[in-house]
Amino acid sequence: MSAASATSGLRKRARAAVARSAAGDRSLAVLVGGLLLVAGTLVALLSYGVFGAGRSARPLLDPLIIEALRAQALAARLVAIGAGLALAVLGVVWAARSVRPEPRPDLHLTGLPDTRIVIDSTAAADAIGHQAAALPGVGRARARLVGPEQRPALRITLWLADDADVRAVLAALEREVLAQARESLELDALPVAVRLELDAVTPPPRVA
Amino acid sequence: MRAVLRVLAPLIALALAAAGVLLVIEVVAAWLRPSLPEAVDDGVVVPWPAWQAELARLTWRSEPVPAVAIVVAVVGLLLVLVGLLARRSHLGLDGPDPAITVTTSPRVLAQLVGRRVRATEDVTSASVTASGRRVSVTAQGWSDDQQLRASITARVEELLDQLPLHRRPVVSVTVHERKGPR
Repeated sequence: MSAASATSGLRKRARAAVARSAAGDRSLAVLVGGLLLVAGTLVALLSYGVFGAGRSARPLLDPLIIEALRAQALAARLVAIGAGLALAVLGVVWAARSVRPEPRPDLHLTGLPDTRIVIDSTAAADAIGHQAAALPGVGRARARLVGPEQRPALRITLWLADDADVRAVLAALEREVLAQARESLELDALPVAVRLELDAVTPPPRVA
Repeated sequence: MRAVLRVLAPLIALALAAAGVLLVIEVVAAWLRPSLPEAVDDGVVVPWPAWQAELARLTWRSEPVPAVAIVVAVVGLLLVLVGLLARRSHLGLDGPDPAITVTTSPRVLAQLVGRRVRATEDVTSASVTASGRRVSVTAQGWSDDQQLRASITARVEELLDQLPLHRRPVVSVTVHERKGPR
């Protein structure tokens, strides 16, 4: 892998760590909504006679269709059961995916032979968060590890003081916190998503 | 929108799963007891024979059909909009390293600008809205319009100079002069 593509991969992973992905939920909503929209529109048009007055006078449950289904009863039943099973499995999988909490990967160190060292995800993230909170210009900080276990990424939220210099804070974060974290956690690359918030300030007195 | 989606998505998925389970139950049940007398011939969970009779009676032109179809289409449109609009709304900043993505929210930018503007002399009150493209400030102040607008714009531009935003928003300032005794 060339250096450029490694960098772009890192950048992509850092961007993915910004927030939990909603792609699955969004595609479900768009798919179901799109089907409802198309079906509703077509039925409304049919109902208002756009496809011919004779067609709109047919019963909803057309005898022609009933006859066709009766003639192919076995096939119709099997198709209905198959569709029902597919819907059930798909629905359960989708629901499970969307309520599952975001994974917090533990870190595995490989420093010593015959020894496995696992750093708990929360412990590692809290250590980084504490260090980041001690930086000048940062009021509070919170960190967590995200992503798959083999390729973890860090998500860190900094609550900045009012007079903080953003560039200086970010440079200090990289220099003093992240470089050290990469070294001590034995990660060649640790993509990081930083989210900046404002720390609550007590308003100055209105009257001197 | 993302919060709405977080709640809606599992509900839709569960509804789909429930519909699938009911379909399988009813089809299998109707298959296994084809010779029952007419009076017992009802659905296991869903009273579908009654629905079947009702649907056979209605035509596509009958009264509730177009209204129901329009409601379904509108619900579908809302779902599509929720799905499409549930994007991340954040502002990107330049990080010190390619492996670091820095973001903040438009709300934070608005708060920063608001604090800066309210700290300007002669400003009595200000409201700020911010997006990735535009920062709009509406301020009330004592001194005359031109001068106040120039000083507010200068302060906001100075703030934007200090923030390494990917994309610098356009600043627009509206000033209302406050009349009466100070």
